[in-house]
Amino acid sequence: MMASSADPAAAVTALHELGWVDVLNESPAQAMAMAFTSLGRTGSAASLIDDIVTLALGAHPSPTTCVVLPPPHSSRPPGMVIGDSVMIQGLVSGRFAQATRVLVAVVDDDRVQVADMDVSEFTVIDSTGVDPSGGFRRVSARLPVDGIERTTADWDVAIANARIALAHQLIGASRWMLEAARQHAIDRVQFGRPIASFQAVRHRLAECLVDIEGAQAVADAWTPDADRLLATLAKASAGKAARTTAKHAQQVLAGIGFTTDHPFHLWLRRSLVLDVLVGSATSLPAEIGAELLRRRTAPRLVDL
Amino acid sequence: MDVGEFRSSLSNWLDAHAAELRPPFVGAAPLDQQIDQYRRVKRALWEADFGRYGWPERVGGLGGPSILRAVVGEEIAVRELADPSTWTMIEVLAPTIIQFGPDDLVGTMVLPFLRGDELWCQGFSEPGAGSDLASLNCRATSADGGWLVNGQKVWTSYAQYASQCVLLARTGSVESRHRGITALFVDMATPGITARPIETQHGRAEFCEVFFDDVFVPEDRLLGKLDGGWQIAMDILPYERSTTFWHRGAQLLHLVDQLVRQVSDGDQSSSAVKSLGEAYLAVMAFRTRSRDTQYRLAAGDQLGVETSIDKILIASAEQLLLDSARDLLPGSVEFDDDPTAAIWRTDFLYSKAATIYGGTSEVQRNIVAGRLLGLGSEG
Repeated sequence: MMASSADPAAAVTALHELGWVDVLNESPAQAMAMAFTSLGRTGSAASLIDDIVTLALGAHPSPTTCVVLPPPHSSRPPGMVIGDSVMIQGLVSGRFAQATRVLVAVVDDDRVQVADMDVSEFTVIDSTGVDPSGGFRRVSARLPVDGIERTTADWDVAIANARIALAHQLIGASRWMLEAARQHAIDRVQFGRPIASFQAVRHRLAECLVDIEGAQAVADAWTPDADRLLATLAKASAGKAARTTAKHAQQVLAGIGFTTDHPFHLWLRRSLVLDVLVGSATSLPAEIGAELLRRRTAPRLVDL
Repeated sequence: MDVGEFRSSLSNWLDAHAAELRPPFVGAAPLDQQIDQYRRVKRALWEADFGRYGWPERVGGLGGPSILRAVVGEEIAVRELADPSTWTMIEVLAPTIIQFGPDDLVGTMVLPFLRGDELWCQGFSEPGAGSDLASLNCRATSADGGWLVNGQKVWTSYAQYASQCVLLARTGSVESRHRGITALFVDMATPGITARPIETQHGRAEFCEVFFDDVFVPEDRLLGKLDGGWQIAMDILPYERSTTFWHRGAQLLHLVDQLVRQVSDGDQSSSAVKSLGEAYLAVMAFRTRSRDTQYRLAAGDQLGVETSIDKILIASAEQLLLDSARDLLPGSVEFDDDPTAAIWRTDFLYSKAATIYGGTSEVQRNIVAGRLLGLGSEG
């Protein structure tokens, strides 16, 4: 779909013209699975996550509308009303560069509202991060609360949708990394035999596939009316699969994988960033555990 | 039959009969009592017809997809009406006998097993053939009208209660490996069979050593073809990893549920809370994966080596969960005499076997690497 698309912004515009938002409205689970798996596999930097969150917040997506995501590892709304100011700290995707309009979830007395803001209000904190081509940057803004147009929205739904989309992207990226390491293990000869014949290498790669397939099953089980815990599980297990796969793939790729001659580093960089969006493989298990203790029950979530 | 409707009518029935189905003991009872409880519940479900769905009519069932059996197993597990590992022996052995057994044998012998009148066992592993099952040595030699079996099996669950055994025996040379193995359906009352329970760490002597000393097996007790036993063993695996695993996964989820109910209100360390989240995550990764597997089986797909992933997932989920329970219920595994705590201790110790039985996690990773990732042969 968007393989080797040199210009991510052009890819986003093309997808919008092809009716991507309609597909997303009609069958969100399938559309997200297909699009974001593809983004993950191809390494495309097309920023579609903005459309997912925009739609879930009840607004209309466009190629020039971007959203502010929570700060790294967090899933709290990026905006907060403090006194007569709105303080905003969060992350934006590469779409920010084309955006005219920025949507921000803002907490005001426990209520979450969506603020519709102009791009010029924001300060971009980072010039480049670990993944320069991915386009994600931290931003901040502080402005008077008066004069900001706000509408109520369901932040939990936005987070759940974002988590599912990013879970698929992490799974796609993990599959790419595993395939790169698999091919290398077959091609690379040491001690007179392919390194794929060594059990230490085989077991590392097997562990990657087990984690990836587990994460895939969780993400695929999601439906728009699912308990929001399921999306949390999907993002957490996809993040874990990506960490396992990046670690083992890098070790199997060894020297060549540490260079920029091999493209592995591009997927490693991308997965580092995707993992920390809307909760990470580090932060989410604690969130899940606390949620179970709060509910005092472990829901089945899916049934036969 | 609609699966959702089946589940709700089963749930209603189980709730209405909760008092009479409940075990007459609390916590980890002696195995004899657990087996009696199993037979009682199995019989009641059969007589109420719920236990007959998912089994073909020619063995006394009412037909329908095997998913209905998975649903029954799940509802039994979450109500703690019978131990899932006992419950699922049927899932491992009955489908294979139905598929490979001689027609007259199947028509008469499967029913008592399904109804809980009988237990059967699976004579596969040997002292010298664990992970390397194809090196098994228990020998069946031709005799007048059948075979004479000599040798030893080990890790044979419930052999001390079993009336029948699905036995893998060597009929070719040891060098013929998997090609020289035959599956026999052995009556455990035959003279020459000795079953000796093995004391295990978790205090539940369900595994046995079984000795065969000139045991006569009539020729009509052949399963499949002569020297075709390996195929039967391989066909058992997918059953073991579909319906059976669904039951065990349901039990794990039930244990998470029990755990979060039993944890005290006081402050839990952040690492313990995180370990709980990780355990639930692992259980749900298994559950969603296993659900896909049930659907594939129901759609008529041939299950195969990809079920090694299910096996690795459930084994690691079980260990993460019981490790987490040990942290969240301080002292219960190590010290507590309360019958409820004794279950955590038993389950904690038993969880260590999860990466060993039914093919170790290392063997599963070998299969994933060789067969699913296409990494070629090992060096």
